[in-house]
Amino acid sequence: MRVRLRSKAAAGFLLGMGLLSIGLPAAAPAGESPDSLVLQVQWFPQAQFAGYLMAREKGIFAAEGLNVEIRFSDEHTSPLTEVFEGRADFCTAWISQTLTLDRPVVNICQVLQKSSLMLVAKTESGILQPEDMNGRTVAIWGGDFSIQPTAFFRKFNIKPVLVPQSYNIDAFAVGACDVTSAMYYNEYNKIYLSGIDQEELVPFFFSDYGLNFPEDGVYCTRETYETRPDVCRKMRRAVLKGWEYAAGHQEETLDVLMDYCASYHVRTNRAHQKWMLTVVLQAVVYGVGSDPAGWGVLRRDDFRRVAEELKRQGFIQVVPAYEDFARE
Amino acid sequence: MTVMRRRSSAVKRPIVRRLIIWIGFPLLLVYAAVAVTNYVQSSRAAVERMNSYLLELTNHHAAVLDSRFKAISQTPLIIAENIEAMRLLNEPRLYDLMERRLAIDPGIFGMSISFEPYALDPGRERCSPRVFRSAGGLERAGTAGLEAYHTADWYLIPELLKSSYWTEPYYSAEGGNALMCTFSHPFFREGAFAGVVTADISLAELDKTMRGIEIISGYTFLVGRSGTFISHPNPDFVMRESLFSLAEMLDRPDLRAIGKNMIRGRQGVIAFKDLNTGEKSWMVYTPIPTCRWTFAAVIPEDRILAPVKAQLIRQVILMAMGLAGILAVIVWAAYGITNPLRKLAAFAGRISSGDLTGRIEGIRGKDEIQELAGVLNQMVGDLNQYIRDFAAATKAKESVESELRIARQIQESLLPRVFPPFPDRTEFDLYAKNAPAKDVAGDFYDFFFLDEDHLAVLIADVSGKGVPAALFMAVNRTLMKTVCRKGVGPAESLRAANEILSRDNDACMFTTMFLAVFNARTGGLTYANAGHNPPVIVSRDRTLRTLESMGDVFLGVETGVSYHEGRTRLEPGDLLMLYTDGVTEAAAPDGSFFGEERLAGFMAERRDDALSAIWGRLAADLDEFQKGSQFDDITVVLLRRNE
Repeated sequence: MRVRLRSKAAAGFLLGMGLLSIGLPAAAPAGESPDSLVLQVQWFPQAQFAGYLMAREKGIFAAEGLNVEIRFSDEHTSPLTEVFEGRADFCTAWISQTLTLDRPVVNICQVLQKSSLMLVAKTESGILQPEDMNGRTVAIWGGDFSIQPTAFFRKFNIKPVLVPQSYNIDAFAVGACDVTSAMYYNEYNKIYLSGIDQEELVPFFFSDYGLNFPEDGVYCTRETYETRPDVCRKMRRAVLKGWEYAAGHQEETLDVLMDYCASYHVRTNRAHQKWMLTVVLQAVVYGVGSDPAGWGVLRRDDFRRVAEELKRQGFIQVVPAYEDFARE
Repeated sequence: MTVMRRRSSAVKRPIVRRLIIWIGFPLLLVYAAVAVTNYVQSSRAAVERMNSYLLELTNHHAAVLDSRFKAISQTPLIIAENIEAMRLLNEPRLYDLMERRLAIDPGIFGMSISFEPYALDPGRERCSPRVFRSAGGLERAGTAGLEAYHTADWYLIPELLKSSYWTEPYYSAEGGNALMCTFSHPFFREGAFAGVVTADISLAELDKTMRGIEIISGYTFLVGRSGTFISHPNPDFVMRESLFSLAEMLDRPDLRAIGKNMIRGRQGVIAFKDLNTGEKSWMVYTPIPTCRWTFAAVIPEDRILAPVKAQLIRQVILMAMGLAGILAVIVWAAYGITNPLRKLAAFAGRISSGDLTGRIEGIRGKDEIQELAGVLNQMVGDLNQYIRDFAAATKAKESVESELRIARQIQESLLPRVFPPFPDRTEFDLYAKNAPAKDVAGDFYDFFFLDEDHLAVLIADVSGKGVPAALFMAVNRTLMKTVCRKGVGPAESLRAANEILSRDNDACMFTTMFLAVFNARTGGLTYANAGHNPPVIVSRDRTLRTLESMGDVFLGVETGVSYHEGRTRLEPGDLLMLYTDGVTEAAAPDGSFFGEERLAGFMAERRDDALSAIWGRLAADLDEFQKGSQFDDITVVLLRRNE
């Protein structure tokens, strides 16, 4: 199974990853009662998951009659595998991941509308536009994270020297590579928080180059969707309300987040989580407006763009029907 | 004494107070200025001293830490050289190599030798033998769980840089379940990158070292290459916060500036608001070059300034004591001045109240006050002398005055004072009066019969006043008695008298005189006038006649002078009035004289009164006119021929 779920979201803060498994009771049977559910998110507690955490903390899941346990992942855990193997009912994942699966899943809520994946160069490197990357050393993450860069290089007919990238930005900081991959909400700010000013950086947002791949969405198996559509609807509603709450109560959300980070020994800081929450919330409203009524939709052209790029790169042979993929 | 007490309490601004204000206050200001300047300078110097000391100290600690990093980094270099030189490589040999190194170098937590795919064993893609310290001694670890090592910083970055690299601190579960930093050195085989040799330093060990560093009441911390706290007394900071994240969270741009200086490997000393306490502090930071970390120390300024403050307090106490001493001296000196001054004031008070008996004693020294005391004593002596002299003079004057009173009595006794003088003569009435201005007057009058019918009447005014005038007058009067004889006319009598008076007149005294001889039977009147006021005659019909002067000189001025003689007649009822200039020149306070006209008016009005009543009335009028301040003798002789 081609499942690479290693989100780089908290890459700079993964020093406590071994301790994280405390929060992950192994093989807990999911869905024993219709109301008891497990939502597996891609990584450790961080602002990327603010909406789900607030839906739980503020009793929004409970109000929908759902008893949701949120489980976090480490580098060895794949949320989609957890779902397929029945240890989780729902998980968060990217379209680019779920489209390439050989088992069908259903997108019940597309939370993030904007791609946060980006490339970053230093101004001093002289890389000011995509073409400047030709022949330069570019560090990229593997798997799903390489799809957008590959499309990007092809689009501008660039032939960089590609090198693998670790969880953090040290190689970029010390000049071991000219360009690095980054999540806007995470590594980009990590670079800033290691003393490199934004003026010293040249950002390349894939979303600015016609390569907007919406990221986190909530998925379940088609089987789950077909047997328990009501639970899926409630899940979707609660998740969006959770995000709405996080958007309206950002300081409170940060307090909750920092408590989670402390319990799970995530080495992060509030300044960084604040940045992440701000940027993630921007991705929630991107293209769908600030009215929560419009949130959580997977737009057809986004879907088509991702699917066609996956097909072009040979990850899939056929573009599936939108209706088979996304349900509301 | 009550006078004195009132005086001293009237001193509203005593000299002591003024001296304290004039000397004490400026001195206090100067002291304060000196203390403040001193404090500012000493604190500056103390901060500078402390900062250079701190810089030395941090440099020292940084150097010690740096030497540890350097020592650790030697091992991978040596092993990498060995590997590059070895023809045959196998895993057991590599483990053996690492174990031997770890045995001799306790500073190394763990080591690994990691290979490019298939570089060690053509049958294995990933190969990364590792040895690390654990509770049970050295432990070997294979590649299990570390399959992705080729994307780890400790592998990737040296590969990309083609040179050695110290990683940022990281947590490794598989590599020994510890926070560590790794030194990684690449090795090459056949000219191509073939892998890395690493050695780790445990952060726990490092933190132990850091906590052992004593910095005067301050604390130390370590910051990594990206500004993250690697060691800090606040455990919440370690591996979580960086100077840059705190800069954002606390909105402290200064922290970002400091962090940027640190990651650029700079050294610095800066004033710094402490992150935990908010205290004003100083931060000294210096790079650890090998791993490009920064060692920093933070000292609260209070601690640096504590000795300076103690010194300030000592100085202030000393100055206060000095000031108190100086004030005491001022008070002492002031009382040294004011006590004698008070004595002098009291003494002067006694003098002013009339007590001249004492002397001021007990004022020592040879200063102005002592001089003043001397002068006061001298003054009292002089005053006593004056008073004695004055008393003597007064006594002398009193004796003269008493003699003058006697002379006056004698003089008065010389003038006829009984009226009517000739009670048996009915042809005329005669009245005369002298009101002297001084005790002894210069005016006189006289009348006496030369024979049965002829009555000599005279009025005179001797120049000057007092005793000389009285004596001269006595001489005159006696002389007139001699020169007026029967058959001798008034002019001749005056001439004879003048001859006598003018001769041997050393005192240069003179006399004005009107002399008339009245024939009581016929009423005929012959007269001569030696410069005297012209008499007036008031007739029955109240017309006035003046017996005008004929221009003759005073008696006693020069010899050989003859006098003219005038003749007239007193009709029955005519009243002749002789007077001295004391009447007409009687002056009112406004300076106007009584004058002849006023006299004439008075005479015309009063001519029928009894002669003594005329005098009484005239004396009263003159007194009223002069408002009681008679200047000159007033003498009047009234002669009325009866009908």
